[in-house]
Amino acid sequence: MLRLQEIALAEAKVPHLAGITLDFRPVQMTTLLGRTGAGKTTLLRVIAGMAMPDKGRITLDGTDWSRLPPWKRPVAMVTQQSINYPHLSVLDNVAFPLTRAGVSREAARAQAEAMLVRVGLGAMTGRHPVALSGGQQQRVAIARALVKRAPVLLMDEPFVNLDYKLREGLREELAELLRKEAGTVAIYASTDPREALQMGDAIVLMAEGRALQSGRPRQVFAAPATLAVAAVVNDPPINLLPAEVSGGQLRLVSLGNEPIPGPDLPAGRYTLGLRAEDVRTGGDLPARVVLTEVSGSETVTHLEAGSQSLVMLERAVKTHNLGSRFGLHLDLSRALIFDAQGLRLTPEPAHG
Amino acid sequence: MYRQKYIFLLPGLLVLIAVILFPLIFTIRVSFSSWDVYNPGLNNAGGAMYARMWEDSRYWEALWRLSLLAVSTVLMQYVLGFGLALLVWREIAARRFFRVLFLVPMMTTPVVMSVIWRTIFHESLGPLNPILDALGIGAQPWLSQPGFAFAAVMIVEIWQWTPFMFLLLLAGLLSLPSEPFLAARVDGAGPIRTFLSVTFPMMGAISVGAILIRAIEASKIMETVYVLTSGGPGTSTETVSYYIYIRGMRDFQIGYSAALSLTYLIIMAVALTLIAKALVRLMVRGAQA
Repeated sequence: MLRLQEIALAEAKVPHLAGITLDFRPVQMTTLLGRTGAGKTTLLRVIAGMAMPDKGRITLDGTDWSRLPPWKRPVAMVTQQSINYPHLSVLDNVAFPLTRAGVSREAARAQAEAMLVRVGLGAMTGRHPVALSGGQQQRVAIARALVKRAPVLLMDEPFVNLDYKLREGLREELAELLRKEAGTVAIYASTDPREALQMGDAIVLMAEGRALQSGRPRQVFAAPATLAVAAVVNDPPINLLPAEVSGGQLRLVSLGNEPIPGPDLPAGRYTLGLRAEDVRTGGDLPARVVLTEVSGSETVTHLEAGSQSLVMLERAVKTHNLGSRFGLHLDLSRALIFDAQGLRLTPEPAHG
Repeated sequence: MYRQKYIFLLPGLLVLIAVILFPLIFTIRVSFSSWDVYNPGLNNAGGAMYARMWEDSRYWEALWRLSLLAVSTVLMQYVLGFGLALLVWREIAARRFFRVLFLVPMMTTPVVMSVIWRTIFHESLGPLNPILDALGIGAQPWLSQPGFAFAAVMIVEIWQWTPFMFLLLLAGLLSLPSEPFLAARVDGAGPIRTFLSVTFPMMGAISVGAILIRAIEASKIMETVYVLTSGGPGTSTETVSYYIYIRGMRDFQIGYSAALSLTYLIIMAVALTLIAKALVRLMVRGAQA
């Protein structure tokens, strides 16, 4: 188990990591999910030894890593931009970490070749990385990381620069490879909630250098602990509706509508988090279409209802003309309720 | 219409003919004459000058000495230059100051530097021997014994031209992408292995360029020898160009020195071509294998 304790790192007095304590278990893939600048890359760099934390401890199965230089840590890493050795052939690129680990040249080349076949580059072994396309270069880098069979595998948005089909294929391939590597701690940084929900066995939500919540992906998605988590984990973004509760009645402030029977909460101000899929057409809330995005078989529509912007997700290809108006139905029974500090109050989706 | 393009090449071509082709052809013609101070002018001496050269052991010794001097000094310049460049490549304190400091020897006039070094090496008046004395090594016959005089020429050459290597290699290092170095650290390569497997191979092409430029320059070593030792003691530090200078400009044996020059040119052209090919195979392709 890879254990991080109170990892903190600041640069020029700006905290990049603020006291992160996490356990990463082998056999499961952990996804670090967060927006750009959340500290995901910095955390991976700290684990790899490329950045030294100001305080905190890193241990793998009880062995302290804090003083180890990067080249002595049993870590493999894939970064966003494909990094290879320009002067070495594809085969020697992949064999490099093995020869460093003391594997004989012949054995290293044989293993490298087998790994290149697995990532679909069996025919490219003699070429130099510059002679390959961007996607192929990244696959060389991935092969180089996987061939090492390091106990800790770090991946920093490795597929972000690849085309869609390749991304899908490599994700499955990667999951397949990792299943066979018993005892590997795999950490995968991503900005894409869908990818995180699809890939990880465990998920860690990060924002502003902190680990906000961790758990199983479905569980975190269903029950985000805070507003910030709900904002990160939902794509399309979750609708945030300011609300007031008084005397068992709930009123949506920005929509200015009539009070409705609300949850049993003390009087005060709250925020309702309503997922885009819980906003539907066919109600009596008047709204105007601001933007429509069709992706694959889904339609995401951005709307304005009074001063409140809303996002609606439909699992079908729909054409809503810009500026057109129709009535919306908000399924408030599925809304998450957060208090004034942004903590989620209702353990299960609220019934109101 | 396309023929007219050659007209535009004419000015450059004329200059080229005037400064390269004519002297070369004239030298070839002169080398087949016995033009000297007694019989000036272009007569026909056949291959007599070349026959004389074949027997002239002083010329061949000078050629051998020059080869030794060039190879050893360029090699040392490369090693030292690379070392200095690595030293100021990464973030270190006063990096800019050191970068400029290392270039000072190259920025001074070679002849002036040689005069200063002659003063330094002076056996009774120079500052070097008292220092060696104080260190318990004892005074050395720097310019009066063949081995020491040769070493003195080497020291001055290395001192003067290491900065040039340093400059080219530092430019090369600064142009390297940083990503492979990150990859090497994660792939388990420590500093020494990273240098051997990443830095050095990636510097292959620029190294060959730097070494060749210096080798071409070093094959003409003349002013250092002229000022420092005048080829002495005896002929022990005489290089080819210095010997040709003596035969041509001091003894005024124009025909003979033309034959020496031409042979020297051909030998150097062949040798440098072979060296260039060997270096490319060793340092550029070898690194990519």
